[in-house]
Amino acid sequence: MHEAVQAVILGVLTGGVYALMASGQTLIFGVMKVVNLAQGALVILAAFLSHSLFTAWGVDPFLSVLIIAPLMFALGAAVQWLLLRPLHQDDAALLSLLVTFAVALGIEGALTVVYHTDYRTTRPAYVDRSWRIAGYQVGEVRLAAFALSLITLGGLWMLLSRTRFGRSVRATVQNPVAARLLGVETARVAALGFGLGAATAAAAGAVYGMVYSFNPNSHYDLISRLLSVVILGGLGSLGGTVVAALVMGVASSLVGALASPVWSDFSFFVVLLAVLLLRPQGLFGARLRGAL
Amino acid sequence: MNGVPDLLVLDHVTAGYGLGDVLHGVDLTVAEGEVVCLIGPNGAGKSTVLRTVSGLLRPGGGQVRLRGEPVDHLSPRERLLRGIAHVPQERSLFPAMSVWDNLLMGGHILDRGRAGRAAVRERADTVAEQFPIVAARRHEAAGSLSGGEQKQVELARALMLDPALMLLDEPSIGLEPRARQAVFATVRALADAGRSILLVEQNARSGLAVADRAAVLESGRVQLNGTGRALLADPRVARLYLGAKEGV
Repeated sequence: MHEAVQAVILGVLTGGVYALMASGQTLIFGVMKVVNLAQGALVILAAFLSHSLFTAWGVDPFLSVLIIAPLMFALGAAVQWLLLRPLHQDDAALLSLLVTFAVALGIEGALTVVYHTDYRTTRPAYVDRSWRIAGYQVGEVRLAAFALSLITLGGLWMLLSRTRFGRSVRATVQNPVAARLLGVETARVAALGFGLGAATAAAAGAVYGMVYSFNPNSHYDLISRLLSVVILGGLGSLGGTVVAALVMGVASSLVGALASPVWSDFSFFVVLLAVLLLRPQGLFGARLRGAL
Repeated sequence: MNGVPDLLVLDHVTAGYGLGDVLHGVDLTVAEGEVVCLIGPNGAGKSTVLRTVSGLLRPGGGQVRLRGEPVDHLSPRERLLRGIAHVPQERSLFPAMSVWDNLLMGGHILDRGRAGRAAVRERADTVAEQFPIVAARRHEAAGSLSGGEQKQVELARALMLDPALMLLDEPSIGLEPRARQAVFATVRALADAGRSILLVEQNARSGLAVADRAAVLESGRVQLNGTGRALLADPRVARLYLGAKEGV
């Protein structure tokens, strides 16, 4: 029992990080109906940038988010404006898969040139420290990562629900033609939305680099998990993404602890298939799709 | 309209989608305070006319002028700022937003800074007084409203910027009879208040009844035009669009 509860705690904390990584994916899909295959690569890029800032100048990985997020925002907005916006509307859904996959390969290539293929982890002094709460072990980094996820997702929610820009985003997601007719510059909203999705990858990458070892190829494994989370949550639903990430995190952690770590990754997809068989629209697809 | 300056002029406008043109030289005017109804068969290009006026579609030839100024090169946003509000045929509310937030979205382009925000909310209060459904259901998700209620909210939202010209695309389509009557009552009230309206309507009898002038669009060209009353009495219109039998 103790082992199971410990696994659930770890799963929830890991799920928080997945929620952060997948929220950008959800935002981008919601605004543009683009499945961004580069989201995993953006997370890995941010992990490398955070790693470099830490090793070269001793910048704390959590603080590095403040530097990396604006850069990633600019990169994401540029990718949308320069590569996705010109796609013809009728073919955009399919071509955007190719474009974002090409972006992922481009990032992977650039990272391989600069950093080579060695695995690395960002290891600040507190990375192995943990607290004991009611008899359960809680890693400091994972707890801080979970807190960062909550803060970032909370900020994202506030931005979307309380600001003029957020209303533009929600309007564009729910009815792009009506949004244009009401004066929303949907092309600008799409670029900013993509930028915002990439900026969340900055926070996710800094955290990822402390929790997992990574190299330029790590995005392949990551993107399959992110897509599973986003699909399970119901494409385009931010609330659904968070719940799905927590479910996936806990399931994976429980399987790892109670069965074997060998099946831990596989459990992600078993959960996805099981839920989709019962609810093809995902956990929140019918109720919240299009609502962000 | 005699003696009243033209607010909107379509001067030999051609427009279409992809490689094919849907409009083949449409000439049409709407005077200040006038209601013009566009009728015609499916595929005649009625909605395309409205999309060309609101800027969702750029004309391939000819010119669209508002108060004498060409607007062809302007985006929908810029045309909205000049006073063109378009209520499309398909449902256009944001279903997951509340009715009130939908209304506020009608003033989105002015909703900047404290003064802008206050002005938009003040305008929303004024508009809501004319549309009881907005006040009654203000906190509910717009997607939970019936089709007729949604159309009322769409019309209210289009009034948020006090537009010079309203483009209404088949506002009664898909509505049950009572909701249809309510929509035409609203259109009539807007017309009585002197609002300029270009109305596309499949329900030709109701559309012509509310219109000062009307035009029949067929195959992308205006084939007939005249006062609403004259077209109602025209045997060809009666036969083709009002369901009258041959010779009536």
